[in-house]
Amino acid sequence: MVKFIQERLKAASGNISIDEASLVAQARAGNMDSVERLILKYQDRIYNTILKLCGNEADAAELAQDAFIRAIQGLKDFKGQSSFYTWLFRIAVNLTLNFCKKNSRVSFQSLQNELDEDAGRQLKDYLVDKKTTDPSELAAKKEVNGLILKALEKLDPQQRAVVVLRDIEQMSYTEIANTLEMEIGTVKSRIARGRKNLREILEAAVQ
Amino acid sequence: MKDMELIEELLNSYIDGELDERKNNEVKRLIDNDKQIRRLFDSLSRYKKLMGAVASDKAPEGFCESVTKHLERHILLADTGEYHRAGKRHLVLRRLTTVAAVLVLLAMLGIVVFDIFVPKADRQKLVNSVFERKEKPQVLYEKPFAEVKPAEIEAIPVPAPKTTTIPLVVKLTLMTDSPVETDWLIGKVLTNTGLFDKTTAVERNTGSVKYVLNCSSDSLLNLLGELSFVWPKCTDATLEVGTEQAGKYITVNSVTAQQVLDICKADNYTQRVRMANDIAMINAATAVDVSKQYVAKDNIDYDLLMPNKPVLTATEKTEQLKSDNTLEQTNLTIMVIRK
Repeated sequence: MVKFIQERLKAASGNISIDEASLVAQARAGNMDSVERLILKYQDRIYNTILKLCGNEADAAELAQDAFIRAIQGLKDFKGQSSFYTWLFRIAVNLTLNFCKKNSRVSFQSLQNELDEDAGRQLKDYLVDKKTTDPSELAAKKEVNGLILKALEKLDPQQRAVVVLRDIEQMSYTEIANTLEMEIGTVKSRIARGRKNLREILEAAVQ
Repeated sequence: MKDMELIEELLNSYIDGELDERKNNEVKRLIDNDKQIRRLFDSLSRYKKLMGAVASDKAPEGFCESVTKHLERHILLADTGEYHRAGKRHLVLRRLTTVAAVLVLLAMLGIVVFDIFVPKADRQKLVNSVFERKEKPQVLYEKPFAEVKPAEIEAIPVPAPKTTTIPLVVKLTLMTDSPVETDWLIGKVLTNTGLFDKTTAVERNTGSVKYVLNCSSDSLLNLLGELSFVWPKCTDATLEVGTEQAGKYITVNSVTAQQVLDICKADNYTQRVRMANDIAMINAATAVDVSKQYVAKDNIDYDLLMPNKPVLTATEKTEQLKSDNTLEQTNLTIMVIRK
């Protein structure tokens, strides 16, 4: 049977379109090469989003894998009303949010001692003062990156989801609304509240 | 507070470029004119830039291969669905076979245990009680008359009739609890048959009445036929048939009206005597109350206690002797006695 699948993969390799719609169509028809291409196209973004939502690499890898398997297996039910990308993200985010709900760990640990003096001062300067530090330089620091992820973990899962999809995944409000199946107004209010809460958490951490 | 939330929402939308041109201009003007909003805007912008700069993590090595392998496994499993179903069917069949085998073994074991522990004498009883079979009533006695085929009876040679006619002389004794009523009935029968005038004597004593009459054979038969209505009033009846030897009678106890009629209807003396003897013997035999011997026994079918009544068989051949006796004179004595 494995040999048969490998033969199918080889046979289909010469018939690939880079267009997402045709990839999806071929994947639905059982073309494993198209399936592989779809996975390769979205694996990093899906994994990154899930990691930012759940905060654990092993869980993120497992959830991402589960999301892809469900999406590919459910291709026969995909009606194309939204893009495959939105559909895949919806599956991934819902899986992750359900996972977070089941494995919620409320952390009351303060983030104040997470940064060393230098990184803390730099982040404080950046958030409070008008001193212009390059944000990419700052975020590149492992400690600052870790602090931001921990601050994200402290957010309510729904707020965390919209903040991650907007600020990290760079989705538009409409895409977020489609992915999370909610109204745009809700997306706006959740983004505002999520950012405010995150800012407060970060500012408290650098005080 | 609500206004501040609304302004924050607008500023976030402005930063994210999600406002239409009119709102965009309004927010821009607001930021330019209000220092506090300007500060909030700067803070939100900084935050957004920082979040945007957070490093993106890449999927772990071999992620794609892992997913495809899982998918292949799922496809394989899906393809083997029919085999799974067949396997399940086979498993169910095996289980059912096992259960059947266990039941058979248990049944065999039960038979062995039954054979070892249940005494042979009680087995039929136990089996009957289990299957609720109705047991046949146990016969606790031997039948007084064995059910054997009646032997062929050879024709009994009857002596040739004598030419001399012996008159019919019969005495009928009726035992009754209500002699007055019986007397009245007999009187009425005699009147109805027109034989009252032929009554030679009527003796009425305390507890008994005696009628003596001489009449023709036909009249006698007519009278006896009518007298059958008296029988229900009687507790017992005895018929004495006179023989050729004067003063000697054949006594038939417990006689019925029909028997009396049959005897008197006999064509001739020989036949009459023979019939009287036979009926006397039959009645004597049936009068033995066999049931009394077993009445103390419980649970006995009473019908089985009754002996078979002997009957005159058709094989008993007698020579039909015909004679005209319609004008034969008869003598009938009827005694009614209080019991």
